[in-house]
Amino acid sequence: MRAQFRFRIRLILSFVIFIALCILLRLYFVQIVHGDIYAQKANRQFSSGGSGLFDRGAIYFTRKDGTLISAATLATGFLVAINPQTLTNPETAYTAITAVASSTLTRDAFFAAAAKKNQVYIEVAHRLSEAGGRTLSTQNIPGVQVLRESWRYYPGGSLAAQSIGIVSYGSGDTLVGQTGIEATYDGILSRSGDALYKNFFAELFSNVGDLLVNTTDVREGDIITTIEPEVQTRLEDGIEKLNRKYGSKESAGIIMDPATGAIIAITSYPSYNGNDLSAVNPLLLGNPLVEQVHEFGSIMKPLTLASGLDAGVITPQTTYNDTGCITVNTREICNWDLKARGVIRVEEIILQSLNVGASWVATELGQDAFREYFTSFFGTKTDVDQPSEGHALLSNLTKPQQIGYDTASYGQGIAETPVQIIRALGAIANGGVMVQPHLVSAVRLNSGIERELDWSKKTPVFGATAAREVTVMMTELVDEKLENGKAIIPTMSVAAKTGTAQLTDGRGGYYTDRYFHSFVGFFPSYSPRFIILLYTNDPKGVQYASETLDATFLDLVHFLIEYYEVPPDRGLPAQTGTATSTP
Amino acid sequence: MSKFRVHLPFSILSLSYATVGTLLVVYIGLIAVVMSYATLTIEFSQSVKRDEAVIAVLESEYLASVARITNTDYRAAGYAKPLTKTFVRARSVTASR
Repeated sequence: MRAQFRFRIRLILSFVIFIALCILLRLYFVQIVHGDIYAQKANRQFSSGGSGLFDRGAIYFTRKDGTLISAATLATGFLVAINPQTLTNPETAYTAITAVASSTLTRDAFFAAAAKKNQVYIEVAHRLSEAGGRTLSTQNIPGVQVLRESWRYYPGGSLAAQSIGIVSYGSGDTLVGQTGIEATYDGILSRSGDALYKNFFAELFSNVGDLLVNTTDVREGDIITTIEPEVQTRLEDGIEKLNRKYGSKESAGIIMDPATGAIIAITSYPSYNGNDLSAVNPLLLGNPLVEQVHEFGSIMKPLTLASGLDAGVITPQTTYNDTGCITVNTREICNWDLKARGVIRVEEIILQSLNVGASWVATELGQDAFREYFTSFFGTKTDVDQPSEGHALLSNLTKPQQIGYDTASYGQGIAETPVQIIRALGAIANGGVMVQPHLVSAVRLNSGIERELDWSKKTPVFGATAAREVTVMMTELVDEKLENGKAIIPTMSVAAKTGTAQLTDGRGGYYTDRYFHSFVGFFPSYSPRFIILLYTNDPKGVQYASETLDATFLDLVHFLIEYYEVPPDRGLPAQTGTATSTP
Repeated sequence: MSKFRVHLPFSILSLSYATVGTLLVVYIGLIAVVMSYATLTIEFSQSVKRDEAVIAVLESEYLASVARITNTDYRAAGYAKPLTKTFVRARSVTASR
């Protein structure tokens, strides 16, 4: 009797264990093997034949007060798919879909899809709003499926679009960052896809190690940029107006903190809207400020003088005889107005933008020293956090002909990327030390930890004394020469230099009537908060950069002073306590 | 060598029944907790994503407002460009915006 009882108990126990094992096995398949499918079902609350929802980290602008504003995020809505095999009334379905679909769905395309009776799933409309999707869903039209979807959304539209970048399918079937920050930080922004749906129990079965230390949490996150949205908007507005006014091929600008290399605004016109890539010229998708090189012209002269001053071959009191034109290796180099100045101090090379004077400094420096300085400025990439960075063209500085060095001294015959130029000129504003330009300040990890990126690499290129002496010259230029002295700001020192370069004709020569205008400036001169680089390529009906770019530059300077409440750095006339200037 | 034998106040079989029963209850409870946790995780995640999308729309409006203000032609709105600017020693009371 007792043995029979034991047998029954064991039978029941075996049955219970068997059932438990069945449940365990079922759970394994539900949660691990088919976890994604069930997760999608739970998430969408609709049946779906599509892939998982697109997920990706956000990119943020940083306002001056530290507030984060989305530059790239995710939008959610619905897509509409049809099953031609069960679609009984295409006319009704088409009418209902077009009533709520924001995207264009042509009648011909819809009926062509509906006629494909050998298929069971064809997506016909995307990016429906919440309200539109739910309205269509409640109609329960046979053969019409309304499914949730998410997509990349850029709240600023075209704001900093070329630097933020885009995502696309590329060669695979996964959306990945293709340009800009989206590409550079793709490893941080991309999501593994199933992290959302894994839970403690499933993790316990699959990988105990991952449960203790979640590897995705230390890799995946959001990107925090240094771009200030209002400054970016102001720069873009100024650049667009400039480009339209002069009918230029392109115009661009960068505003950077010269002490840290943090890029506060960066733009090029024409650009594109990241939310609508349907009719975008693929050539616009890159970042020209990082990828393209130009001959920048006379904004190179401050670097030539800084090199000469640092090497000790000149001092601010040094004089030279400016003859207006000189002949070097059978080629003639002339001042912009072809006029001789006689014996003058070297500061006039900056104040009057004299090519003959810059060439004289290059000759005084000697080829080896000149090459060494300019290679330290432009010989390496900046490693700015953007893909496809270009490199400078400095081949003229490897040849023995002096003409190559002389033309380089005033920014012709060598070509650099705009980011390289602002890094090098930033050294004048930063005591002779080049910093690393960058667009991203920190990564906010999924774990909540904000990890600051290290951009502390500094490259000394000349001494602080030489930098200050050149700054004095550039400040005099703004106070006395720019707009005939009307550009002066009595309470703020501003240093600047204009540049006008002839454009290459593609046949080894230069156009005589087509120019590349550039402008660089920083303020306050002796403790700079901002350095601004502007350029416009092939403006029509105007020859000199001082005519095209000064207004945009000064507008940005006044805006930045007010917006950041930059305190005055120099006094007012003691007698009056006031000063006036013409805006 | 003496034969050692432990006398328990309950049988091993009863202990096993109790253990199995307890484990079964714990197991079912764990399943319930995990399922609830998974459901809440998905719900919260979706809620966060929906909220983020709503915030993105607001941010889009903010950025559009900034662009509109920047693009405003004040002269077309009836304002005249000042003939001169006066810089003063004291901070203007109207400057603290």
